[in-house]
Amino acid sequence: MAVDTTKNAVPFEMAQIPGPEMAKAYNTKVIGAILKKAKRPLLVVGAELFEDPVMFDKAIEIGKMGVPIAATAHTIKGFIERGYTENVHMIGLHPLTSYLRFKDWQGLDGEGHYDVVIFMGIFYKFASAMFSTLKNFNRDIKRVSIDRYYHVNADMTFGNLAFNPDQYHEAVDEVIAAMAK
Amino acid sequence: MDKMEGSFAVEDMQNVQINIGAIVKEVEEWDQPMGPFPYPQIATLRDWDFKIMQRYKIMYSPICDRCTLCTYGPCDLTGDKRGACGIDQAAQNGRIVLIACLMGATAHCAHGRHLYHWVLEKFGDLPINMGDEILVDAPITRTIAGIRPKTIKDFGPVLSYFEEQVSQLLASTHTGQEANYMDFESKALHASMLDHLGMEASDIIQMVAYDMPRGDENAPLVECGMGTLDKNKAILLTYGHNLAASAEAMFYTEDNNLWDKVDIGGVCCTAHDNVRIGEGLGYPKEISEKYKDVGTKAKIAGAIGWWRKLIRADVMDCVMVDEQCVWTDAVNECSARKVPMIASSEKIMMGFPDRTNDPVDEIVDDLVNFRMPGVAVLDPTKAGEVAVKTAIAVKPKRAAEREADPFLSEEEFKKHAESCTYCHACQFVCPPHIKIGDVVRAAAEGNLEPLSSTYEVCVGCRRCEQACPQDIPILSLYAFANKEYIRDHKFKMRAGRGPVKDTEIRRVGAPIVLGTIPGVIALVGCSNYPNGTKEAYDMAKEFVDRGFIVAASGCMAMDMSLYTDEEGKTIWEQYPGAIDGRNICNMGSCVANSHISGATIKIATIFAGRNERANFDDMADYTISKIGACGVAWGAYSQKAASIATGCNRMGIPVVIQPHGVMYRRSYVGRTDKKENWEIIDARDGSKVYCEPAPEHMLYIAETKEEAMLMMAKLCFRPSDNNQGRMIKLTHYCDISMKYFGCMPPDWHVYVRHASDLPLKWKEDMLKELEAKHGWGIDWKRKAILTGPIRKMDVSFDPTNIERKIRVKK
Repeated sequence: MAVDTTKNAVPFEMAQIPGPEMAKAYNTKVIGAILKKAKRPLLVVGAELFEDPVMFDKAIEIGKMGVPIAATAHTIKGFIERGYTENVHMIGLHPLTSYLRFKDWQGLDGEGHYDVVIFMGIFYKFASAMFSTLKNFNRDIKRVSIDRYYHVNADMTFGNLAFNPDQYHEAVDEVIAAMAK
Repeated sequence: MDKMEGSFAVEDMQNVQINIGAIVKEVEEWDQPMGPFPYPQIATLRDWDFKIMQRYKIMYSPICDRCTLCTYGPCDLTGDKRGACGIDQAAQNGRIVLIACLMGATAHCAHGRHLYHWVLEKFGDLPINMGDEILVDAPITRTIAGIRPKTIKDFGPVLSYFEEQVSQLLASTHTGQEANYMDFESKALHASMLDHLGMEASDIIQMVAYDMPRGDENAPLVECGMGTLDKNKAILLTYGHNLAASAEAMFYTEDNNLWDKVDIGGVCCTAHDNVRIGEGLGYPKEISEKYKDVGTKAKIAGAIGWWRKLIRADVMDCVMVDEQCVWTDAVNECSARKVPMIASSEKIMMGFPDRTNDPVDEIVDDLVNFRMPGVAVLDPTKAGEVAVKTAIAVKPKRAAEREADPFLSEEEFKKHAESCTYCHACQFVCPPHIKIGDVVRAAAEGNLEPLSSTYEVCVGCRRCEQACPQDIPILSLYAFANKEYIRDHKFKMRAGRGPVKDTEIRRVGAPIVLGTIPGVIALVGCSNYPNGTKEAYDMAKEFVDRGFIVAASGCMAMDMSLYTDEEGKTIWEQYPGAIDGRNICNMGSCVANSHISGATIKIATIFAGRNERANFDDMADYTISKIGACGVAWGAYSQKAASIATGCNRMGIPVVIQPHGVMYRRSYVGRTDKKENWEIIDARDGSKVYCEPAPEHMLYIAETKEEAMLMMAKLCFRPSDNNQGRMIKLTHYCDISMKYFGCMPPDWHVYVRHASDLPLKWKEDMLKELEAKHGWGIDWKRKAILTGPIRKMDVSFDPTNIERKIRVKK
């Protein structure tokens, strides 16, 4: 039975209620399908991957499906250690988001902007604020979180799965499976 | 020119008074001509601000999508929407940023204003004597106001100027005033520049009045940590940022030989300033004769993040608060533990009765008998006496009123831990994301290790306790599990040394500008770390070891004192305290941050011979082009940290902040894909040169310590670096990347202008990569770069961003 990722859709930091426009929690199949349809998706991963190293493997799985990876903070190290650097770009989340807000930016590979960004493994408050930048200043990009938190400033997110790592891993696997279909 | 206020009456004319705004007199001792911008108004430096914002694009991360400031609201500003008044999301965020910077700036300046009045009342007007090695004193005041203050009274007009500017700036935030986000930002930069002026005035006033160290690299090592407070004595904690009342408590203790009965420990910046008293040049005599080195008798109880840990560890018998960063529920925590409080500042009266005019013994009697949880005493001398007497008298009373052991009992601890239902409400609200549910569950099973290992990560916000449906006193569980840690919490910190000496500038000016000292790292600010206090030490150690000049201040200076090397030495005992490579300096409290920004002015004026007088943009231009300095506020929480950082930005100093720093909503980020953003003027002839992005960002948010350190090294690049300097900087940038990221940074080649810029240890490989990956032309015989760099190395290049600095126009 699929993980219900629509439960617990309350901001992970509970006081973070930005305004009328708040993210909707989706199930894994819908998120997977949206990611599959994306023309220029970008997976953005952060340093919380080090606390749950299996998530590096899942990021690599997504990378191998042709989704470029922005390795923020010092996460590039985790990819190097696993021997996967093919489409992995080392960049801070802050400058990356700054570039993403400009519609004339040509992407990490110089081949054009992105239509979907997918956040995973990033310090909650930081990720939330970066989503907020995109939500307010470049609404052409779809903001998807497959992190273990309900992300209020995303377009599509899981509910909070932070306290159930097994379910969270399963949910990400389901997204990957839906992308592969 | 100085201005002197005055008026006179004409005797023979009835009811006539002629007011004279100012009598102007020449200042003979300062032959520097007045610069273009004395006492700059809101729009005076707008052109400079817009230059910064053209290169470093303002980035907003709204925390709230709404505006709720007027009765038309709440208005939804998400995306392209505008409020009823017409304001958009960017302008609204700029407005909030300005308000935050004003909060920070006024906190420092109001502190200075209070000290100004108090010091004049207590000591009279005092000469500003910074010693023989500091002739360029008050560099920020000189640069902004165009005056050279000679006595404390000279800061009167400076503070008045600040207050007028703040009034104008705050007015611009009203509905229907400023409309454009860049103008809000220019105003925030102005407010924050003024913050540095206010900080400098505050610190100079207290240094001069309380005989604090003035550029003393050998300032005394003082005791730091919860365990240094002697439980056999009464313990008075003085908490906040304004030493006036706390100093009086120390003087009273000294005058009455009470140090064997009372220990005085400071929390937050009052702690810094307590331990600086009487350690200076020997004047004023009133201090040096009676209170020489009295500062060494006080102790550093802890930084702001330790406040609730201190109270849960029951280290205090009485608390006196002054101003700033005092947690507003302090009275609840204190009264629950029978700790009387004295509020000594009008800014924080906590609802207490104002007892300023009552006899000391009556006040003490009321506090000692717990008739009221606290009192306000606004006369610093009386407040100090009340505080000491209360601490001594209440200690036995507290013991009688309370249970013997202030910590939870074994049974209570177990009962609370076992009551956890593992609902994780605590973790939903924990800023550093401690897995509190797991920690408490482990404790219930008898494993206290997680409570120990996360004690330093906990920022003491108490949000977890409020969220807990079982009312588990989580901070008290921490205190119980860390009793030994608290008892052994004993370290040494070097007392704040105060400003940079002119002689030090002469020694390091050239190496900084040429890059052979790879940079100046300023570790400043508060205690809201994303991953614990240890990171303050780690960052400092990394950069001191690499030969950077590391300056620290405020809570970060205190927090980095809490760790030792294998020989048991704190960072202050490991390295000397001068302004030099492989040194670490504690500048002092928050307001001593002004000496760091002031040092950049001193480099421009002492080393480069530039006139600083009323010449702000010239000083900032020199800094951004030639001084490889980077501020780091890794635990920043306050609006003061926002204004300090923004003031650094206007001065051309980039700043790195921690991930919680997104709460400030605004950052300044460079775009390296836009070549035109990095065009710099060559002052020799006015020609335009495309430069490498140095520094690349002005306000950068890092996710982890590792990312922060890489960025700190990178933000020390400057266009003026010579080959050797660039090679050294590039070495550290690449080496940090290899150490923490496992690879070279992807943009290292951007900073290469000539083969001599390449680090020797990687030169061969780098040349190969430049050729193979980036298509650069390499002459392998000479190992020279033929084509490829953004610009060629030119030893005479004189970078500037200001047209008036062009010497000979083409």
